[in-house]
Amino acid sequence: MKALLARSWRAFCLMLGNQPSLTRYLLPLVQWLKPGFLPGQYRAQLVATAWQTADMIELTLQLSKRWPGFVPGQHINVTLKHNGRYLTRPFSICSSFSLWQSQGQISLCCKLNREGEFTPLLPRLTKGQWLSISAAQGDFVWQHPALSTVFIAAGSGITPVAAMLLSQRHWLSEATLHYRVRGNENAALLAPLQQLAQRNPLFNLQLSDSRVETAIEFSARLMRQPLQREFYLCGPAMFMQHITTNLTAHGVSRAQIHCEQFAPLLQNTAHSCAEDEINSTFIVAGLPKMMALPRMFSLLQSAEQQGLAPAFGCRMGVCFQCVCEKVSGQVRDMRSGQLSGHGREQIQLCISQPVTELVIKL
Amino acid sequence: MKLTTEQFDALALELDTLKLQVKQQIGEADACYIRRVLLCQRLAAICGRVLMVLGFITPWFWLAGVLALALAKILDNMEIGHNVLHGQYDWMNDPVLHSKRFEWDIACDAGSWQRTHNFEHHTYTNIIGKDRDFGYGLLRLSNDFRWRLRNLWQGGTYLLLSMLFQWGVSYHELAAQRVFFGKKKADRHSQVTDSELKKAFFGKGARQLIKDYLFFPLIAGPMWLWVLGGNALANLIRNLWTSTVIFCGHFTRDIHTFSAEACENESRGQWYYRQMLGSSNFTGPTWLHILTGHLSCQIEHHLFPDIPARHYPAMATQVQAIASRFNIPYNTGSFLRQYGTVFWRILRYSLPGGKASTRPAYL
Repeated sequence: MKALLARSWRAFCLMLGNQPSLTRYLLPLVQWLKPGFLPGQYRAQLVATAWQTADMIELTLQLSKRWPGFVPGQHINVTLKHNGRYLTRPFSICSSFSLWQSQGQISLCCKLNREGEFTPLLPRLTKGQWLSISAAQGDFVWQHPALSTVFIAAGSGITPVAAMLLSQRHWLSEATLHYRVRGNENAALLAPLQQLAQRNPLFNLQLSDSRVETAIEFSARLMRQPLQREFYLCGPAMFMQHITTNLTAHGVSRAQIHCEQFAPLLQNTAHSCAEDEINSTFIVAGLPKMMALPRMFSLLQSAEQQGLAPAFGCRMGVCFQCVCEKVSGQVRDMRSGQLSGHGREQIQLCISQPVTELVIKL
Repeated sequence: MKLTTEQFDALALELDTLKLQVKQQIGEADACYIRRVLLCQRLAAICGRVLMVLGFITPWFWLAGVLALALAKILDNMEIGHNVLHGQYDWMNDPVLHSKRFEWDIACDAGSWQRTHNFEHHTYTNIIGKDRDFGYGLLRLSNDFRWRLRNLWQGGTYLLLSMLFQWGVSYHELAAQRVFFGKKKADRHSQVTDSELKKAFFGKGARQLIKDYLFFPLIAGPMWLWVLGGNALANLIRNLWTSTVIFCGHFTRDIHTFSAEACENESRGQWYYRQMLGSSNFTGPTWLHILTGHLSCQIEHHLFPDIPARHYPAMATQVQAIASRFNIPYNTGSFLRQYGTVFWRILRYSLPGGKASTRPAYL
């Protein structure tokens, strides 16, 4: 019944304004009155910015009351408008659950990528500015607080882990955080974690300075400790791959290891440049299809070679019939050589080549 | 006016450079502009519908309502819809103003328009037999087509087509695919099935009819007849305007047509050349450019269909300079003069014969 009502309402809105909802039809008016409004998103106002380290900025947002809440460890997509263009990137929430409960605020800790399109804009945001955020998503959450747990975070990977630890009210079992970072000056969110460690005997904070301890030494030290634990890993892809391989080699089962791969996918690019093909996913009418895409061909050519039939037209970037939504990954414009962002955006299949692993909705 | 291969390459380079220059300027100003036009369009549509009902106070309100609704439909179809569906604003990543998501206030389904207009017409501009926009399969507009008896009254056909233009556009792809009438053509391929075409045609058409001739009259209560008539009039104004503008883009006196064989394996420069010879501009004040969706700069639109249209008038000066350097005719004139030649062309070719259409020497 509800589905039928929703369908009828959609049909009615299409009839009335050729848009699937009235909000979309009235969007220019709504945005005029409520800056930062986007359909399907929530408004958030920037209340404070602070530098956590030299290249990590903490944004505190006052959220719309409609925002449905989060489980610590989850991330949100932040959308902002720059030079007329909507840009979206995911960021983990780094603040505690109680901050949202008591004040309706959350904090994000964002690492600045100087070459990126999005993060260099963050320091330029002014207090009071409106942004759009998505509902919280992701399944990297502390699932069994009653079991002994080891958290391993590297660099900006600390953000979801910090949210989990700082949100925990009733400690049932011991937890250790191995925080790997280039010196204390680069350790974001260190102060609240140290306070937590002092206050709470069940929480043990161990810092690993990557300038002193190599990755191999760190991993070896980790393996000497009791391994009948739940492991939560967040950091650069290579780092997590290394730790996971070592843990499984030492008899830790896959079910005990929980990972969140976040942001530093750039390292993957350099790593896989030598390969001629990139494993990617096309989502056709909701069904994901995995396939290897040659770097030298356009996405349109590759999709067709694999038996898919995306919409196409001129095949020269003129007619925009093949425009599709790229969910993640980076592509190159074959005409100009220009690289796209890593986030969600619309691309033309006929003039785009894969650069990193892609997910595309056909 | 024969151009060498090197000249064609040089032409392509100059036009590509111009395109790149403008592309680098695209940003905030373009986004603000199109959002502002969209806001005006929404306000005009809402005010128009309300004013029509207020016609019981004074009929002047009704008239203002009709004009406001016609303006809203024209802005929606021309400056917003046509340009957004070309992907001119895809870079904005906007939830509404995107070529894949936008749907407009006209009987033609956006997807069908993208296939017939963006792909067929813009790729094969004025190639006889491939660009069905040249005469829409109804009018004989050059002596490339054999004269038939029905051409004798094509002046009347043209007026009828203009008045019902949105339905002509909507039916365009179904006619090409011979969905209802005629024998299928062996050389025509389609990305969509006939049943999908029918579904889109009837679905979108019904939505538009219900809105203008059932829903709004019904909620207007005792003013229903005024609203019904007003909506019909607004649609008529939009139809006449869009058809007039579009006819001025490709059917003026000095337009060139091309044969399919001659255009095989054409270079980028030759493609540009064909677009320039196959299109015509007309001059006028800024408001006129906006109401035409900048199709008053049809030449620039055909050269750079994915550049936000508000840049066309400025680009026109430079394109004209490039054209004169390469000795390529640049077809422009006042709105009335250009339209006069269109009307003359329709009447002239309603009779047998007519001058052989000019073909560029390379073709």
